[in-house]
Amino acid sequence: METTKKKINWRGLGTLAIALYIVFLIGPIAGLDVPAIAAAIKANPMQLIQFLIIGISNGAIIAIIALGYTMVYGIIELINFAHGDVYMIGVFTSLTVLSLTGTLESKDPARIIFGLILALVIAIVVGATLNATIERLAYRRLRNAPRLAPLISAIGMSFIIENIGLMWAAQAWLVPSFGTTGGASQKVFPDMLGVLFTSMGWDVNLLASSGLALRFTIKDLMVIVLAVTLMISLYLFVQRTRLGKAMRATAQNRDAAKMLGIDIDWVITATFLIGGGLAGAAGLMAGLYNNTAWWFMGFRAGLQSFTAAVLGGIGNITGAMLGGFMIGLLASFSDGYLNARWTNAWVFAVLVLILLFRPTGLLGEQTGQKA
Amino acid sequence: MKHLRTGVTFGIIGGFLTFLFGGWSVAVIGSLMGIGLGLGLGGKFERRDPLKIALTVLPTALVAGVLLVALSYYQNSAVMDAVGKRPAAADIVFKANLIGFLGAVLFTALLASLSGLPEKQERMAKFVLLALLVIVFPFVDKATALRWTAQIIFALIFVILGLGLNIVVGYAGLLDLGYAAFFAIGAYTTGILSSPQHGIYLNFWLVIWIAAAMAAVWGLMLGAPTLPLRGDYLAIVTLGFGEIVPVLFKNLIDVTIKEPLTCWIIPGFIRLFGAETTMACITLVEHADLTAGEKGISPIGRPILPIIGEFKSANPIPWYFLIIAIILLSVFIIRRLRDSRLGRAWMAIREDELAASQMGIDPVKTKLAAFAMGATFSGFAGAFYAAYIAGIFPSVFDFSASIMILCVVILGGIGNINGVIVGGLVIMIADRLFLPALKDFLASLLTHTVLPSISDPVVQLAVKDNANPILYRFLLFGLTLVIMMAVRPEGLIPNAQVRAEMHADEELAAPAKAEG
Repeated sequence: METTKKKINWRGLGTLAIALYIVFLIGPIAGLDVPAIAAAIKANPMQLIQFLIIGISNGAIIAIIALGYTMVYGIIELINFAHGDVYMIGVFTSLTVLSLTGTLESKDPARIIFGLILALVIAIVVGATLNATIERLAYRRLRNAPRLAPLISAIGMSFIIENIGLMWAAQAWLVPSFGTTGGASQKVFPDMLGVLFTSMGWDVNLLASSGLALRFTIKDLMVIVLAVTLMISLYLFVQRTRLGKAMRATAQNRDAAKMLGIDIDWVITATFLIGGGLAGAAGLMAGLYNNTAWWFMGFRAGLQSFTAAVLGGIGNITGAMLGGFMIGLLASFSDGYLNARWTNAWVFAVLVLILLFRPTGLLGEQTGQKA
Repeated sequence: MKHLRTGVTFGIIGGFLTFLFGGWSVAVIGSLMGIGLGLGLGGKFERRDPLKIALTVLPTALVAGVLLVALSYYQNSAVMDAVGKRPAAADIVFKANLIGFLGAVLFTALLASLSGLPEKQERMAKFVLLALLVIVFPFVDKATALRWTAQIIFALIFVILGLGLNIVVGYAGLLDLGYAAFFAIGAYTTGILSSPQHGIYLNFWLVIWIAAAMAAVWGLMLGAPTLPLRGDYLAIVTLGFGEIVPVLFKNLIDVTIKEPLTCWIIPGFIRLFGAETTMACITLVEHADLTAGEKGISPIGRPILPIIGEFKSANPIPWYFLIIAIILLSVFIIRRLRDSRLGRAWMAIREDELAASQMGIDPVKTKLAAFAMGATFSGFAGAFYAAYIAGIFPSVFDFSASIMILCVVILGGIGNINGVIVGGLVIMIADRLFLPALKDFLASLLTHTVLPSISDPVVQLAVKDNANPILYRFLLFGLTLVIMMAVRPEGLIPNAQVRAEMHADEELAAPAKAEG
């Protein structure tokens, strides 16, 4: 141990230096212009904290979606490509509920709170049902097929749901604010929390009285509180309850779990239900936070969340949360200091880098049968 | 009378197709229907007298032909009125229907009777007929003014893409969800190397090889870090790659590269210690517009041949034969590859990676070869596409293109060249010819029948907007993937080996059930 610690890995350091040089050489194309970033931070240091807040809030949403990926991967070793799109359906479901209940036009606080809670419940139910239905229709019969088959089925499902979202966004008779521009454009998700707070006479920015040039809004607070609550309850659920134990057992060894009398089909369905419910809840949160609804948002969110899950260690629930916050921060800083057009490219670069240097993720993966 | 149902099905499907296209289409559809019917029925007979077979299938052929012509006449007399169009060329109705009927009957009888010949002659005869069909098609199309050739060329581009992806997905068993990225790389290489964008005008016959090589290099660059990992990660990495590449081409419009050491690392350090520096900053590229972003690169150079001259977009026939030649070359190369040592190694890896590596196959190198070879063919397709369209735009190469190519491979049959060709033709003809025609047909049908009777303008608009099959085209692709995986994972025209693999668990389950 002692000798290996003293020995400096010159070759590794050299590779790192060359890699860094290449990143700094090519990086400016994608916005990584170090002097400009340094100048921006120097000019307005508070902005850094602002991006930190935005990153944590967005990271909370990404983490919740990542939980669904990681749980499903842990249990059946399948990338549920449709998961990000379940989240997108969650956004559209809650928007539709808010529109149909008349909450969008309302200024009455009680009515808005009722509408939001109803939207949350319905989004969770729809997300959970949809995810479990996907499992039943597309994955269950392929559980023992070659690995290619369920993956293709999953990508097909994702494509189907994306296009359902595309059609949904064109139905102006359902949600008048969609307008007549067709389903492909981004739609506005009204800032209901802002309306709620203003109608109650409070300031949306919780830090307004502190005199700092920062915005920590009720939206940030709501997203972070809700996300952390959901994560802790999920963690306790998996660790403490009987079904959670059955899930962990199934993830470790499906055949042995079956022999011990665990109903595998039900455990897998339950996993999809929970993941889908979380995605539905994340949908409402993201809609309220980012104020957009777009049919393609599930694809982007899915890519980011899966990267978060891999970053934390696939199958690892704590890892997914950690990865989610990290990806959220990365995306926020990239949006703020690099260039928003390149954010996805940076997230993708991170994915490839993790796979190259630490394929088991930061906290290690927790899956059963190895591929 | 045994095959009556097949005849009725073919006749009705063919007849309804004439609803959509009208004009001379009945003649072409009738002949194509006859060929399909003949090939389908032919396999059901034992090898005996060709004449007898021809006579046996004659009733079926007659039924199909009569149905076709009956529906076609109905189209001319009634449907055209319903959709508010007068038949444009009333004088050709009789001729077209007669040819369609004769084509249906004669081709059915002829092709079915071929299966009465000895095997070698049968194959020869079918090959000659197929070759004749391929050669004659664009001229018939031109003579009948159907304008299908331009769309068929798109289908053939996707056939090449499907053949390339088939190497990756079908032979090596790797899921590549960003295959359109390599298509884009091929197309953009062509665009950059033969357009006014950078003032470089290389010859198409040279560029097509550079494009293929470029796609292969990118395949290697993407595959090298990811292929040693588990297969699922490849799927997500290729998905991400497929998403990033169009973004890259969209955003590479203002490229500035400054050497970092001289520009800020060393001066930064010196400034950190309080000293002033006047180090010269080395700028390699400044504000270069590489890809023209959303505007796209246009025009792009076109192939020139001695006798034909420059290929023009108004005349699709030279393009058609060029793409047929590329397909023939690709099929030849892919068949040789498949039967080579490398090809057998791909299939061994697909079936059991552990066992294959124990037999001395290097899994990473073998997979990398598959990845690079697959990318090469999409480079060919990309180069052809760029030259044919004479302009490229980043939005063409998005996620949905990758899914369409995957559909081509899955529908036709994983790991089967003939299957992929059929899959490409079916999917792209459905997408490019059938759905647009159906959309026009439905739209005019609705405006003349249902819509005036709806009083509420909101509902009227909703019905009108939603009755558009083009909206659902991508839904159909997703459904194709899911349904094929659930019902027939080996595809329409399966490869025997793949079929055995896809149903391996059922074989294991069957004895267990018998015991239980």
